[in-house]
Amino acid sequence: MDYIHTEALNKHYEMGHTIVKALNGVDLSLPEKSLSVVMGPSGSGKSTLLHLLGGLDRPTSGEIYLDGSKLSQLDENDLAVFRRKTVGFVFQSFNLIQSFNALENVSFPMRFMNVPRKQRIEEALFYLEQVGIADRASHKPSELSGGEQQRVAIARALINDPTLILADEPTGNLDTASGYSIMEILAGLNRNGRTVLVVTHDPRMRQFASHIIYLLDGSIVKESVYEQAVQQVS
Amino acid sequence: MKPRELISLILLNLNRRKGRVLLTAIGVVIGTAAVVVLVSLAQGLKQNASAQFGNIAEMSQISVYPDWEAQMMIEAEGGEYTSPPPITPDVVEEIGAIPLVKAAIPRTGVYAMTILKTGKLEAWANVIGIGTDDLSVLGLEMASGTYELTKGTVIIGEEVLKNFYDPNQRAEQEPLALSDLQDQHMTLELTKWSEDGSGNYIEVKKALKLRVAGIIRASRSEWDYSVYMPLNEVLEINAWVNGRRFDPKKDGYEMVTVVAEDRESVLNIASQINDMGFMAYTPQEFIQGVNSFFVVLQVIFGGVGGIALLVAAIGIANTMTMAILERTREIGLMKAVGATNQDVLSIFLGESASIGFIGGIGGVLLGLLLGELINIFGSVYMAGQNSGMMGGGSATLSVATPPWLILFALAFSTLIGLISGVYPAVQAASLVPVQALKNE
Ligand SMILES: Nc1ncnc2c1ncn2[C@@H]1O[C@H](COP(=O)(O)OP(=O)(O)O)[C@@H](O)[C@H]1O
Ligand SMILES: [Mg+2]
Repeated sequence: MDYIHTEALNKHYEMGHTIVKALNGVDLSLPEKSLSVVMGPSGSGKSTLLHLLGGLDRPTSGEIYLDGSKLSQLDENDLAVFRRKTVGFVFQSFNLIQSFNALENVSFPMRFMNVPRKQRIEEALFYLEQVGIADRASHKPSELSGGEQQRVAIARALINDPTLILADEPTGNLDTASGYSIMEILAGLNRNGRTVLVVTHDPRMRQFASHIIYLLDGSIVKESVYEQAVQQVS
Repeated sequence: MKPRELISLILLNLNRRKGRVLLTAIGVVIGTAAVVVLVSLAQGLKQNASAQFGNIAEMSQISVYPDWEAQMMIEAEGGEYTSPPPITPDVVEEIGAIPLVKAAIPRTGVYAMTILKTGKLEAWANVIGIGTDDLSVLGLEMASGTYELTKGTVIIGEEVLKNFYDPNQRAEQEPLALSDLQDQHMTLELTKWSEDGSGNYIEVKKALKLRVAGIIRASRSEWDYSVYMPLNEVLEINAWVNGRRFDPKKDGYEMVTVVAEDRESVLNIASQINDMGFMAYTPQEFIQGVNSFFVVLQVIFGGVGGIALLVAAIGIANTMTMAILERTREIGLMKAVGATNQDVLSIFLGESASIGFIGGIGGVLLGLLLGELINIFGSVYMAGQNSGMMGGGSATLSVATPPWLILFALAFSTLIGLISGVYPAVQAASLVPVQALKNE
């Protein structure tokens, strides 16, 4: 079975009398170490898909298998551990804690992992280095540009060394140049062996992708596979 | 999460919302300070009252009398009056054999009118025969002289000195000094009335020469006011008064002073003596009554402070609920990066408990400060009030904070914080992460 595998995945929201089918019968299979770009118009269910894959929410019906585990079988605690160890999230709006500096934001997830303080700082610095802003470690988010903030957020997503990176419109709030460098960072993470799913409208992301998934009204309408890109990483 | 990690994160969170935390804590500060001051005030009043209760030696003593009360009850209900069983020497021995009784000392007063005379001075005196030759067993302190009471000597209470006066002199007189009486001889003049055979009563006088062997230091107890003689001598005087010798089979002593080995066993011994059919009084019974009054006072005062704390609790609950609204995204993020529901619950409970604890510390400090002020103000004010009076007991308004109260106040304020945090914390913990993240 593939690294990511979903069967008849549904996520429905009841809004008064109508039912919004955010995801409607999604069957998806993505191999390990792939870089997939999820595209589709606003409201097509891209974010919902990422949230379900990352264990931030549960589907209305259907099944998700991720790295061999069946998410519906995990209880709340196991799901938290799954998010902690397996998944790194990158959000459009960064979601940094404003009163923490870059280093504290990056090391924050390790607080739930019983990692000693010294090691936390070392690792946070290492990942800040990786995304190229080690010199901003002591800056608060308000003292950083959008691109820098998103780099901090990526470093935070990496801190627990997850195998899956889920990025929901990570360049949506960034200017063209810094958006592109974020894309390059994500592609680099993929080259280092991580499975990456990126929701984006930016066509420049396609050049890094092994898979492109088009969503419309909660269903996959088209799926392209670029063998060469997959081979490159494997 | 490890406790250390949890605490460090809680402190970090409190630190970045300092203003809000302190404002919320003020409510707890006021409530805790109220509890501390009011309960300390009740405690101070209690200690003040206890100080007036007299000496500590008395606390391990029991006074035993024939059971007059039971006889009065029988009489009141139409029964026939008979005198209660007397405290015979055998009874004294029996009481002395009760476990943890250190001594059972019989006492009988002189049945004649008694006047002490020394030089030109004289004093009315309550002369008591006491069945021990060593008064040290009573735990009394001597102002001078010895505890030993031998034939021909007396030991007197310090207050008796104040009773001496010169009947031929009008002006105010200086009271006697200890050295005026210690080891001095004085005369005990006894007066009885006897029938002369024709229905007329005539005064008969008798004088005894006595040496003062010791003077008991005044301790606000009954021992301050009497003159103590060996029991056998008093029995002889009474035989002279009554014209009949003391019969150890039939006659009893007026009372027995029982000294317990320790204070804790006093009530138990007293109840055993009651069971023997005698009346046993302990100052402890009275003090217990007074104590329970002060316990009630403390509870009432504490309750008033508690209401203030309750208001503070509402403040904490409000602040924590607000915090959840403001930090919804942060909670979502915590969960997204792997915090469990338990982690989130612990963080929020820890924060609210900490607010309670911080407020508790502030409240204890403020309470101690206010207590000091009350003590200073109280003693100045009372000194002004008392200056007009003659000697007398000096009442002071004082606050006494027992250590347990400080610990209790801290624990209670923390608990209040914890409890007010429960509902918000459960709310925070049960947020679905994705919903929390969507909240903009
Ligand atoms: N919590 C929710 N309650 C109701 N409807 C929701 C909720 N979350 C998402 N939706 C709906 O589900 C659909 C898909 O949303 P989303 O996955 O965010 O789309 P996208 O990320 O592609 O813009 C939209 O119609 C949206 O309104
Ligand atoms: Mg979206």
